[in-house]
Amino acid sequence: MAQTILKQWGSKLAIAGAIVLYLLPLLGMEFSTYMTLTIAGLAMGMMLFLVASGLSIIFGLMDVINFAHGVCFAYGAYVAFSVFKYLGAWVIADSVFLNFGVFFVAIVAAFIVVAAVGIVMERVLVRRVYGSHLFQILITFGGMVVLTELIRIIWGPNDEVMPKPVSFAGNWNIFDIIILKYPIYAIVLGLIVYAIIQLILKKTKVGKIVRAGVEDPDMVQAMGHNIFLLFTGVFAVGAGLAAIGGLTMAIFNLQVYPDMGGAYLIFAFIIVIIGGLGSVTGSLVGALIVGLSYNYVAYLLPPLAVGVNILIMVIILLIKPTGLFAAGK
Amino acid sequence: MAEQTPVQIFRRQERQRQYRSGTFFLKLAVLLLFMLVPFLFPSFKALDLALKIMIFAVLVASFDILLGYTGILSFGHVMFFGIGAYSVAMLIGKYGNPSYLNLVFGFIIALGITSALALVVSFLSLRVKAIFFAMVTLAIAEFAIILATMLSGFTGGEDGIIMSMPGIFKVSFNMGQVLGVEITGRLITYYFILVVCLGLFLLMVRFIHSPLGRVIQAIRDNEPRAEAIGYKTFVVKSISICFGCLVSTILGGLYVMWVGYANPESVLGIPIMLDVLLMEIVGGMGTLYGGLAGAAFLEFAHAFLPDLQNFAQSLFPNASFLHAALERWLLIFGILFILVVFFFPKGIIGSVQDFIARRKTAPSI
Repeated sequence: MAQTILKQWGSKLAIAGAIVLYLLPLLGMEFSTYMTLTIAGLAMGMMLFLVASGLSIIFGLMDVINFAHGVCFAYGAYVAFSVFKYLGAWVIADSVFLNFGVFFVAIVAAFIVVAAVGIVMERVLVRRVYGSHLFQILITFGGMVVLTELIRIIWGPNDEVMPKPVSFAGNWNIFDIIILKYPIYAIVLGLIVYAIIQLILKKTKVGKIVRAGVEDPDMVQAMGHNIFLLFTGVFAVGAGLAAIGGLTMAIFNLQVYPDMGGAYLIFAFIIVIIGGLGSVTGSLVGALIVGLSYNYVAYLLPPLAVGVNILIMVIILLIKPTGLFAAGK
Repeated sequence: MAEQTPVQIFRRQERQRQYRSGTFFLKLAVLLLFMLVPFLFPSFKALDLALKIMIFAVLVASFDILLGYTGILSFGHVMFFGIGAYSVAMLIGKYGNPSYLNLVFGFIIALGITSALALVVSFLSLRVKAIFFAMVTLAIAEFAIILATMLSGFTGGEDGIIMSMPGIFKVSFNMGQVLGVEITGRLITYYFILVVCLGLFLLMVRFIHSPLGRVIQAIRDNEPRAEAIGYKTFVVKSISICFGCLVSTILGGLYVMWVGYANPESVLGIPIMLDVLLMEIVGGMGTLYGGLAGAAFLEFAHAFLPDLQNFAQSLFPNASFLHAALERWLLIFGILFILVVFFFPKGIIGSVQDFIARRKTAPSI
């Protein structure tokens, strides 16, 4: 009896428990602070989702763990930095239209440039080592080091200040709760990207092939689809998504630095382990968990902010080692 | 003695061959070279280079037990090195005084932390997929760097901890001259570390050739089969991981005894992990002795790369991109790493072994 109840209600109980857990920080802070942190956490979660989803799809389809994924994130931030520098007048213009224009241009430029980097990476590095996890990790780790050093050569080794478009600064005041504008934009952007990914995966033929490829790549190839072309495409799109995450994160933190990829790669790993490798929805849920808990703990106990995410990962590994969501969803 | 298992027969033959083979004398010669370095090249730079080669050779060999023999890639290996270094440095430098007792305690505490942490990590990630081990260890290693940098009251932050050694290991200790070379604290530390490194290396060789070591190699080659035969692969793998990590911890303590400081950059960082990986790949996976070749190659490169850069810059004074690229030695090592993995995956020792094996079998064909 108890077991059947647990089976029926287990997932709902888990969700309820999680909600209670995420209301707990209220005990240690004001409500308005809590709201600010929650929105910042959701925004961070959305940006991390952009990085982790690419990593997750690449693993699901190609069985490749891409250690160079964090570098794509950093390249996105740096390309946007260059775009903002080049179109500096648009950034400081007091016009919502121009501000969003430059943001859009930066997103497109970062996506295209980093997708191109992804294609080169897949063709030159990853393609030679399909099937051997060990060599994939070694090769992509080497790629990460080389690409990070290239950032230092191209853009200089120092931290740079990332400009923020004028109308992205500021806040709304709703019932004495101060809500920053930019995190809301980031959340909306993340949701749009999530919707687009789901639409492509669920409603188009390419998406169908990709989902089938996650289930059984050999069979997809046997059906006459060029799986290697698909691999390259998915790798490029994954890298491009990471780039969008990188540029939104750079505007959020107002800085770009060469090692930023490595730091956020850790988050991406934790997220895909929590959410389940190969699942887009899992990445979204995992990213929100990581983003929220990071922000609460960073406010209460700063040095343990990453630690709490590792703790969550450990708990998930103990309870459900395959992650919260199954692959291919 | 008639009934012997194939392994016993193989081992008896191996023992008979041992003292007649050329490689045995090569090993002896290398050891002798390390022992004579202070007398042959009486400069601090040479001594420092020899000691770093030694420590990294054994560190890479312990990494080899994980990667080459167990087939598990850990990005946390340098973290355990750092735990040893920080533990010893803290007990002697910041929270204690330079005494032999504190030195011993530093090692013991580090070993305790390492065995607990290594067990937890292997328990968590080995149950799922071997690939998780790389991801989990990378996350934990990054967390260790963050902790060491952020908890500056406890660990000294970016600056780390400076300490001086007790008694005969002290830099200023002097015992007079032998054969025209001053016996200083440095020299005694050098020989102490040499002896411990040799002991650790022999221990690892023994470990690999023990029955347990053979099971580990069997798991690397075919895990489902090893499991079907009846070995508890999970337990065996955990033991192997713990063993490798413990050796790494001791080496961290030894390293800090020599350099006299521990900070995140020198004992925890990703660049050191890349160094270890590169030494492992260049030397050859699954050979143990590859660590020595790889460490020698890379430490010499570290020592003489600045000269090479100056030379290249004087050769092409106008190519500014080249200058920028040469100043970033991590870039060079990264590219080298990728090339070695692609075209030279067996490394120096592995390739030489292949060559010898081919020459031995060639006439009979």
